[in-house]
Amino acid sequence: MKTFCIDLNVCTGCHGCQLGCKDEHCGNCWLPYAAEQPDTGQFWMNVRQFERGKRPHVKVTYIPTPCQRCEDAPCMKAAKDGAMYRRDDGMPIIDPEKSKGQRQIVDACPYGAIFWNEELEIPQKCTGCAHLLDGADPMISVPRCFDNCPTGAIQWGEEDELDLEGAELLHPEYGTKSHVWYKGLPKKFVAGIVYDPVEKEIVEGAKCTLVGPSGSFTAMTDDMGDFWLRDLPEDDWTLTIEGLGRTKVIEVSTKTEDVGLGDIALD
Amino acid sequence: MSDKTIVRGISCGGTGGSLAHVDSENGKIVRIRPLRWNEKYTDEELKTRLWEFESHGLTLRPTMKTTPPYYAFGYKKRVYSKNRVRYPLKRVDWEPGGDPDKINPQNRGKSKFERISWDEAAKIIAGEMRRVSEKYGPTSIFCIGEDGHKESKDIHSGGGWHSNLMDMTVGNFTREVRTPDSVEGWYWGSKHIWGPGLYMGLGMMAPSQNIIKDVSDNTDMIVLQSGDWETTQNYASQYWSTILRFWLKQGKDFIVIDPFCNYTSVCHDEMKWIPILPNTDAALDFAIMYVWLQEGTYDKEYVETHVVGYDKVFDYILGKGHDGIAKTPAWASEKTGIPEWTIKALARKWAKKATSIGHYCGCHIRGPYSHEPARTEVYKLCMQGLGKPGIHQIHLQSWQTAWPKFLGSAVDPQPAILGQRAQQFVPKEQEIPRTMAHHAILNGKAEWWGTPQIIYALADEQFEKHEYPSPEEGYDAQVHMVWSEKPCNQGCWNGGFLFQDAMRDPSLECVITNHQWIENDSLFADLILPVSTCLEEMDDVGCSQGDSVTSCAIQEAASDTVGESMSDYEIAQRVGAEFGEDTVTMLTGGMTVEEWLPYVFKQSAVSKEISFEEFKEKGYYIPEFREDWDQLPSGQADFYNDPENNPLDTPTGKMEWWSEPLAENFPDDKERPPMAEWIEGGSAEDGWTHDESPWGERAKKYPLVMNTCPGRWRVHVQGDDITWLREIETCKVRGADGYLYEPMWLAPEDAEARGIKDGDIVKVVNDRGTILGGARISERVIPGSAYMNKGSRADPIGPHLDRGGCTNLLSPEGPISKHCWGFVVTGYLVDVQKVEDSEWDAWKKEYPEAFERAYDPAVGRTYDSWVVEGE
Repeated sequence: MKTFCIDLNVCTGCHGCQLGCKDEHCGNCWLPYAAEQPDTGQFWMNVRQFERGKRPHVKVTYIPTPCQRCEDAPCMKAAKDGAMYRRDDGMPIIDPEKSKGQRQIVDACPYGAIFWNEELEIPQKCTGCAHLLDGADPMISVPRCFDNCPTGAIQWGEEDELDLEGAELLHPEYGTKSHVWYKGLPKKFVAGIVYDPVEKEIVEGAKCTLVGPSGSFTAMTDDMGDFWLRDLPEDDWTLTIEGLGRTKVIEVSTKTEDVGLGDIALD
Repeated sequence: MSDKTIVRGISCGGTGGSLAHVDSENGKIVRIRPLRWNEKYTDEELKTRLWEFESHGLTLRPTMKTTPPYYAFGYKKRVYSKNRVRYPLKRVDWEPGGDPDKINPQNRGKSKFERISWDEAAKIIAGEMRRVSEKYGPTSIFCIGEDGHKESKDIHSGGGWHSNLMDMTVGNFTREVRTPDSVEGWYWGSKHIWGPGLYMGLGMMAPSQNIIKDVSDNTDMIVLQSGDWETTQNYASQYWSTILRFWLKQGKDFIVIDPFCNYTSVCHDEMKWIPILPNTDAALDFAIMYVWLQEGTYDKEYVETHVVGYDKVFDYILGKGHDGIAKTPAWASEKTGIPEWTIKALARKWAKKATSIGHYCGCHIRGPYSHEPARTEVYKLCMQGLGKPGIHQIHLQSWQTAWPKFLGSAVDPQPAILGQRAQQFVPKEQEIPRTMAHHAILNGKAEWWGTPQIIYALADEQFEKHEYPSPEEGYDAQVHMVWSEKPCNQGCWNGGFLFQDAMRDPSLECVITNHQWIENDSLFADLILPVSTCLEEMDDVGCSQGDSVTSCAIQEAASDTVGESMSDYEIAQRVGAEFGEDTVTMLTGGMTVEEWLPYVFKQSAVSKEISFEEFKEKGYYIPEFREDWDQLPSGQADFYNDPENNPLDTPTGKMEWWSEPLAENFPDDKERPPMAEWIEGGSAEDGWTHDESPWGERAKKYPLVMNTCPGRWRVHVQGDDITWLREIETCKVRGADGYLYEPMWLAPEDAEARGIKDGDIVKVVNDRGTILGGARISERVIPGSAYMNKGSRADPIGPHLDRGGCTNLLSPEGPISKHCWGFVVTGYLVDVQKVEDSEWDAWKKEYPEAFERAYDPAVGRTYDSWVVEGE
C-alpha cells in the first residue's frame, strides 16, 4: 500500500504541498481520476495551522492533511451506486461521474478531507495524484505534494518501506483505520521563564515539576531561565518550581490549551 | 499531457531563483515543479558541482531536488492572473499633447482605462517624447526602474530599456537612482565603521565567503535579530530551511529577537523568541555591551588592536558620555520591553558561546535612524572578535557554501550569464533618488547627500551633495513626463501617499508604466503597456543568490504570450520604430534573441566550462566549485588574524567605531553622530527629522509602533493576486463585507483596549492618511506594536485613503535622518481603530466609484476593475 508519512518536526509551514496540489488539480482536468478542482476553497492537501501558547512561548503547529487513506473508510460506506472504489495501492477514489449529487460522501469524512464542488455537484478529494502514478504525464510520476516539499517533511512510498518509527495516526479514535502517518503530532506544553525578583536575574537550574493524575514530568530551567515541559497529556496539574531555596506552586491545566506562563517571579 | 518542459528560475528578485521545471501543453502552463540536479548530469559530473562537508559527525549537502520559492509553485496563477494587463491601455480622460484641460491629473488613480492598439500607444509615446523634450528639454522625462519588475530575466530584463531608448532618440533623461532599499542602516551606518562591505556598498559584512561551513564547525549560537529566514529566503530558494534544520540538529542555540514571533521562530520548537519593541534594537545592544564591559566578558585584545574610537563608545555606554546615562539592562528594559533579567542572561550567554548574528538584510535597519542599530550590531560583533571561528554576520550572501571556480567575487548578481543591457544604472547629468521621487515632483527641487546607487557606493560619497534640478546647465529641466518600468514606488518605498499626490501633480503631462499586472503605480498612469512574464519569453537566467548552488538555465517560452504583452526590450523596440529602423537596430544591435543568447553565453564565464550547444540541449548547468573552497578564509578571518596586513577599506584600515569623516563633514548632526547613540528623535522645532518613537509628542495620538516586514505570502509587492496564496489563513482576513483585507496583527491587550475583535475591519491611521486592514489578534505580537506586512496592493478609495492595506502609503516621506535619504518603512507611529458604520457610509457617499469597481475576493482587484467594459 502506498501512503505518506509526514514529519511535523521538519515541516516549516511553507504550504508548498498545498500549492502543489492546487497547481496539479486547479485548471487541469484529470478524468477519470478527478474533475478539475475549483480555483479556491478546496484543499485536498490542507495545511492546517494552530497557534499555541502565550507570549513569549508561542509556537505554530502545521499539520498537512490529505485524505487519510482509511481502511475502514466512512466515505466508501456512504457512497452509493459505485461512486467510490479502492485502487490496488489502497487509495479510495471518488468517481467524478458516478458521485454526482452524493453530498453524503463529504459529510461522512471525519477528517474534513472531502469537499463539495457546487458547480459540478460532486464530492472531491485527494487522489494521491493517481493519474501521475498511472503515467498520465511522462514528466512526473509521484504525488505533487511530496514532490514540492523542500524539507523532506512529506515522505511517500510503500507503507512497509517507510520509516514509521515513532509515527502515529492523526485520529485513531475515529476508528477508521487510517494509513497516513505523522511524526511530531502536537501534545500539550507548559512553559515559562523563572526569575529572581530581588536580584532581577533569571534563575538557571530551577526544578520545575508537573504533577497530575496522568503522571509527573520534570524539567530544569536553562541559561535563559526557560523551562519547557513538552509532550504532555491533557490534564490538570500542579506545577512546583524549586530554586534559590524557594518554592512556588502554580495550578495549571492543559485540558484545552497549551500553557505559556511568561515571566514567573520566584519569590 | 504536457508537450513541453522548460527549466527556469522563477524568482521575484534579480536572483534567478532555485531552478524549476515548467510543464506546458499547447502553449498553456500545466504545472511548475522542482527539478533534480541529476536529471541531465551524472553523479560523477555532480561531484565537482554539488559540494558537501561533514561537521560534528553530520553531513550537509545541497538537496538533489531543487527548492524553488513556494510562490513559484503558484506562479501559474500570476501568469494567468485576472489582474494581467492584456493590451495597451489609455486612461479614459487623458489626452496626449500637453493641453492642461485634457490631462485631468486629479483623476489618476480614480479614472478607468480603455484598450488601445500598440500602433496608437507607440505613436502617442513617441509623440510625447518629442513634444516634452522639445518644449522643456530631454531631462524633463523621468525614467524610473533600475530593477524592472523583478522577475529574473536576462535578455528581456526590464530596468532601463526606456532609458536606452531616450539616449538613442531624444538624447537624455532624468535618471531615478536606486537607493539602498532594504539595507538602509548598513548603508548609512555600518559602512562608516567597516567600509563599504558587501558589493562595495551595501554596507553588510564583507567578505562573506565560506561562512556556512565555519558556522557549522564553530558557532554555538545564532541570534536572528530581526531575521526571518523561513520567509526571506523565498527571495530565491527554500534551501535555508535545510541549513537551519542541520544547525538545529547539531544542537546550536537559536535566539529570535523580533517584535513579531516570526515564521522561523514559530515552526522550530528549539528556537527561543525574545519579543522587542520595534526600532529599539540599539538600546538592547548597548545594554548587552554594558554587561560585557561590567563583567569583562569581551575580546579586549580585538578591540584594542582592531578598533578605533572604542573608548568614546565605552564611555557613552557606561554613563560617562554627554548624556550621562549608563546604558544598563534596566535602562534598556524600559525602551525595549524586554525584562532586565532576560537582557542580562542573553548578554552572558552571548559572551560564553561563539555567536553569529543572522538575518537576510534585517528589518530592524529600516526604521527611523536605522544607522544606529546597524552600527551597534557591528560594535557587538567586534566585542566578541568578529572573524574569529564561528563569529560572523550571516546575511543574504552567506549562502554560498562553496565558491564556484570562475567567481572571483560575490558582486555579480547573475554571474553565470549576463546579457542584461538595460541601462538605467549608468549615471546621468540629472538624477533623483528613488526615495525622493515624490518630494522632487511635488516641490520642484530636492537636495541630498550620497546615494549614487545601491552598490559600488563608498562611504565618502555620502559627503557629496546633490541637487535636483541639476546644477549642470542644459540638464536642469523640471520633470514633466514619467515613464516607469517598475511601477511600485508607492508600495515599496517611503511616503507612498505623497507619491500618489505626486502622480496627480499637474506638472506631469504624461505618465507611462510598463507592467504585467494592473496594480500600484500603474493605477496612476495615463498609459499602461502590457509586459510579458518570464514564462512567456525565450531567455536565459542565472541563479547566484540564495540557492544551495550557483546555476544557470536557458529556455524557450513555456506559455503563449498573454494578450498583446511584450517584454520591456520589445516595447522599447516597438516605440523606437516610430523614430525609424535605425533606432531599432541600435537597441537590438541588429540581432535577434536567438542570436543574442549564444553571444552573451560566449561572453560569460560559464562558456569556459560547457559549450553553448550542450548547455542548450541540457537546459541548465551548475558551474564547478573551487577545489579549495573549504580552505578560503571565512568571513572576516583575515582581518581578525592580521589586521595590519589585511586592512579594511576605511581611512585607518581599522573598525572605526568613531568615524572621523562623519565628525568632520557633519559636525552638528545629532541624528547620525560620529558614533552610534540611542536616538529617539523629537519635534521638528527641536531639529529632529522624526518624532516616531513611543516617547514623543506624536505618540499621544498614535501610540502603536508599526512593524512592517516583507510578507510571508508575497515577495515585496509581488504575488498579492495569487489566489492560492490569498486563501492561506495568515495571508488575508475576510471582512464582514466579503473583501479580503491585509492582516493587521495586534497583541490581545492592544486589541481589547480598542474594542477590536479578531476579523474586524480596522483602520490604520496617522497624520499621513488611513489604510484599512483585517484584525488578527495574536500572542505572536508584542504589545505596543502593530504588525502588518508591507506590499499589499494599493486599492485607493480616495486621496490618502486606501482599502488595500498598502503600508508604505503611511510610511514617513522623509529620510532616515537629515543627511541620509534612505527610506523609513517600518518603526513609525500609527493608531489602529475599528471602522465605524458611519465612516463606511461617508466614504461610500464621497467616493462611489471606488465601491462600484469590480472585485473578486480570490484575486482582489482585477483587470475589469480598472478597464472600461466592452473592451
